[in-house]
Amino acid sequence: MLRVQDLTKSFQTRTGRIAAVRGISFEVQAGEVLAFLGPNGAGKTTTIKMTAGLVRPDHGDVLVDGRSLASHHDWVTARIGAVLEGSRNLYWRLTVMENLLYWAAMRRVPGRLSRERASHLLDRVDLLARAHNTVQTLSRGMQQKVALCQALMHHPPVLLLDEPTLGLDYESSESIKEMVRELAHDGIAVLLTTHQLDIAQELADRVAIVRDGQVVLEGQTAAVLDRFSRPLVQVVAAEPWPADLDQRLLGLPVTVTGPDTLELLPGDLGERALYALLARLAPHPLARVERHQADLAQVFLEVVGTRVGP
Amino acid sequence: MRWLVIAEWRRMVVGLVRYPIDTIASTLTLFLVFAGLFYGARYITSSPIGGGRLSTVVLGYTVWIVMMAATGDMAWSVQNEAQNGTLEQVMMVPWNAVWVFFVRAVMAIVGMLVPVGAVLVALLAMTHVHLAWRSAALVPMAMVIGTAWGLGLLVAGVALLLKRVGQVLQIVQFLLLFVIVSPVAVLPGIGWHLAAMAIPFAAQVFLLHGLLTSGATATIWLWVESLFNLLFMLASGILLFMGADRLARRQGILGHY
Repeated sequence: MLRVQDLTKSFQTRTGRIAAVRGISFEVQAGEVLAFLGPNGAGKTTTIKMTAGLVRPDHGDVLVDGRSLASHHDWVTARIGAVLEGSRNLYWRLTVMENLLYWAAMRRVPGRLSRERASHLLDRVDLLARAHNTVQTLSRGMQQKVALCQALMHHPPVLLLDEPTLGLDYESSESIKEMVRELAHDGIAVLLTTHQLDIAQELADRVAIVRDGQVVLEGQTAAVLDRFSRPLVQVVAAEPWPADLDQRLLGLPVTVTGPDTLELLPGDLGERALYALLARLAPHPLARVERHQADLAQVFLEVVGTRVGP
Repeated sequence: MRWLVIAEWRRMVVGLVRYPIDTIASTLTLFLVFAGLFYGARYITSSPIGGGRLSTVVLGYTVWIVMMAATGDMAWSVQNEAQNGTLEQVMMVPWNAVWVFFVRAVMAIVGMLVPVGAVLVALLAMTHVHLAWRSAALVPMAMVIGTAWGLGLLVAGVALLLKRVGQVLQIVQFLLLFVIVSPVAVLPGIGWHLAAMAIPFAAQVFLLHGLLTSGATATIWLWVESLFNLLFMLASGILLFMGADRLARRQGILGHY
């Protein structure tokens, strides 16, 4: 569906030439959400803008359904919708419906069809009742939903979302998330950048982490999380440990981390260590036994070495 | 192309209809500026202004308003849209950007036709200048509009790269007002004729004047200069805009403000 091939871009600044993107490649298949993550200045937005045709790459190409943006600019851009970061994406003095019809006409969608699509999309985001309000009268969350509808008016198979939930309250973020999920389910290829790693983790089928203009980690979200999860088991007791705990745990790779918690690092013993631990703890009542599972924030921290988000 | 025209037409009509006070106020301002100049000049010179020079000034001022509509709207449009974030969406539509901005310049002029007509009628009534309508005047009028499109694209191209061109543009617009009503195109000497070919509207105003004012003549030189000026401004506008678009995408500054 969307293939980004070896994109490279550098910019001239007062202090010299800076490489913003250095040979980035990835693919997003139909119905897939790819979270494109990285710290500020890593090259995410430049990559998204090159994918949208707004920034011309020094090298590399963007292909949609096998056709190159460089040689089929209009054909490719007609198949891409985008909600860009920090942009309002809409004309504030026009109504919601006027905006949607304007952008539809700009993308050659016939009048009657564009009205139907606009009504359908607004209904989907619960904004049909606000169709004839000017955009400036809507809340930030509502505006973002309209921006998303705007990007979908020409029914693009590829959707670029640059920080779509930035600055939104919980309810609006949830609503946008739900819509992105539905769009992917409908077969749209979604390229998403966000600093909100919990959102990326929930939405993305695959993740790509960029640092200094290069992809440093890419893979299926579940596989990436597994790869960074430690073979650690945490045991939480229902009441404080007994006084003879140390004696019971002799010879096991266990660290007592609190009055009612401990961690097991099985190592070569594998599952046998867990069974042995549980046998030795019995009949002390346990509240839960959990395997450690990494989240994207931990993965990000390990890969990039920087915290992101609020 | 039809969709592009429909989209921009709708947007222009909505702007005019939804904010009529803006439209009326800008029309009134155009009239009052001229009235201020006209009566101010009469007061300073202590004598009535009239004759062929006054009719040239009235026509020149009207052409200047058309030029203002095309250039001002394009410059402010690019600047505001870069600031508001819609410029990048506009540049993402599956049209060559030069067409998008060409249609926008057309709509800016179309949107100004009624106000400009109203100002012209008011100016004629105030100054007692009489214009004799001739259908041949449609040709230089079309040339004026075409030249304004070219100038509009030129300004849009500069605004794509520099964004904040509003203040500079105002200075250029007032300089052009002086040039438009000055008799460059009808001065003797090849140098003046060449200058009239390069200065927007300079020849077209006098051509219009020659056709609409009884007694004045429209020479072949004025036709040649007007046509050349139209082609020169259109070509400059289109080429500069295309170059600016390419450069802005290469430098990644389309969304910068």
